[in-house]
Amino acid sequence: MSTARKRILVVDDAATVRMYHRSILEGAGYAVIEAVNGIEALEKALTEPFDLYLVDVNMPKQDGYAFLRELRKQNIPQAPAIMISTESEVHDRSEAYVAGANLYLVKPIKPQELLAHCRLMLGLLAQPT
Amino acid sequence: MSDITISEEDFRKFREFFYRKTGIQFDDNKRYFVDKRLVDRIEATSSDTFRSYFTMLRFQVTGEELQALTNAMTVNETYFFREDYQFKCLVDSMLPEITKRKKSGDTLRVWSIPSSSGEEPYSIALSLMEYWPGIADWDVELISSDIDTDVLHRARAGLYSQRSVQHVPKDLLQRHFKKTADGNWQISDDLRSTVEFTRVNLTDANDIRPYRGFDVIFCRNLLIYFDDLSRQKAAEVFFDALNPGGFVCLGHSESMSRITSLFKVRKFPQAIVYQKPESR
Amino acid sequence: MALVRRQRTDEVEQDGRKRRRDYTGLVASLEDANPTARRWAARDLAGCTEAAPALIGRLEREPDAAVREAIIVSLTQIGDAVTVQGLVKCLRSDDAALRNEAIEAMGHLPDTVAPVMAGLLADPEADVRIFAVNVLESLRHRDVEQWLIEVISEDAHINVCATAVDLLGEVGTAAAVEPLEALKRRFPDEPYIEFAADLALRRIREG
Repeated sequence: MSTARKRILVVDDAATVRMYHRSILEGAGYAVIEAVNGIEALEKALTEPFDLYLVDVNMPKQDGYAFLRELRKQNIPQAPAIMISTESEVHDRSEAYVAGANLYLVKPIKPQELLAHCRLMLGLLAQPT
Repeated sequence: MSDITISEEDFRKFREFFYRKTGIQFDDNKRYFVDKRLVDRIEATSSDTFRSYFTMLRFQVTGEELQALTNAMTVNETYFFREDYQFKCLVDSMLPEITKRKKSGDTLRVWSIPSSSGEEPYSIALSLMEYWPGIADWDVELISSDIDTDVLHRARAGLYSQRSVQHVPKDLLQRHFKKTADGNWQISDDLRSTVEFTRVNLTDANDIRPYRGFDVIFCRNLLIYFDDLSRQKAAEVFFDALNPGGFVCLGHSESMSRITSLFKVRKFPQAIVYQKPESR
Repeated sequence: MALVRRQRTDEVEQDGRKRRRDYTGLVASLEDANPTARRWAARDLAGCTEAAPALIGRLEREPDAAVREAIIVSLTQIGDAVTVQGLVKCLRSDDAALRNEAIEAMGHLPDTVAPVMAGLLADPEADVRIFAVNVLESLRHRDVEQWLIEVISEDAHINVCATAVDLLGEVGTAAAVEPLEALKRRFPDEPYIEFAADLALRRIREG
């Protein structure tokens, strides 16, 4: 099993949300990089490798759907993407999958839920309880 | 000497705040760089501690100290072939793409702003003349602008210090510069003639009007000094100044991500640049 | 072929459009088939107060991002009540890009947005309330903290409160401390609320 830390890109315009996800993910041993919107996220994705993307829907300058669509067009190694949204936007679920998301979660997300879904996306075995 | 120290926690807080405000991120290996400048600003503002300085910084309505701090944290020095990976990108990646779309006889147009004392536009000229095979087949017009007329005057004169030319390859230095009696370097008349210098205020709609039809724009380390609204307006100016498919290059720590979504992010081997969409 | 200089250019380049264009002509150009023409029309209508309804009407239907951006900039320079009304309509759009542009524009118009803010924060749609809080992020107005405190004290929807808490960390004062503690009690099983509220409290106390 690889000992290299898995790298997760957390994309959200709210600093507190990024910090929250960071604290959960770093606590579980992942390497976390942040981006404030879809444009910054794309720049990072083009220059560094990632194992997973955690993407908020509503961001200024470039929203989560636009980012994913752009990301999936790029000729780089692709990684799974978890899209995160507020409950009222549930009708956008299918749009998320069409844009290239692998999973759609509703915030706020509890720590164990986030970790379980990340493990799932990263292809890791379930934690023994 | 002061006994103000920056703790790990202070650095972390500062780094997060600065990233939020400017988009500029500092690695842990930049501690020395950051700490030194922080201490300078703390002393300059007569704050006693990092904590009181940081409070002042966050809540100051005018944003004056944030601007002073940003100025201190960004490297202002200019010299020939600064961030030269972008010139390599111009020659190896951007121009080949652009010329594919052009008809023979078309002139390519490059805009460098701010010109400052001229090191950047002359570096572009040198890169084109010396490293771009395409210069044999295409005419290129190079325009460089600044709001400061004194600096434009110096740029047109083309006299530079040893420090400014230290990254110029020896053979280029020999071919295009002459050493003066007092140890400075004067560029040749030929090189001087390759750049047209103009005075422009990027935020003045009348100044900007004639600037159209460019293929590449270099605007490095200028927008970080603007406020949000001015940055957006400047990005609009660049958008309108470019031909469809044209490119904008910002400074290496700058990004369009906090400014506008009008441009497409393009990654070339040497650099990330921004492209105006092709079909309109 | 080489690096060339054009003859000394003091003259202004032809930019392909008439220098003086009249108001009716510009409004008509907002509907031009060519997006560049629409963009220039929007730009030239900047600060032209009577154009607000036409600009807003175009904004709601405009597919081109560059044209929308020019419209928004011009609207921001007009910035009157009619403009704000139009931007509020955009908050309800299905188009995420348009919504975000409207939020940003409203953030620049504190005097004309303030009178409608209370209404937006009480909107029956949670999303609209969230977007209203997003507007507060860039709004320079002395009531911002008070509005945020009202949201975290009264709003039933967790994500509306979550958005407000984030901002309170930046602009909050001692007045926000008790409401933040109360918020944690109101949502006892929500780790994110606890995290965000504690962060805001820490920031307020350190400041």
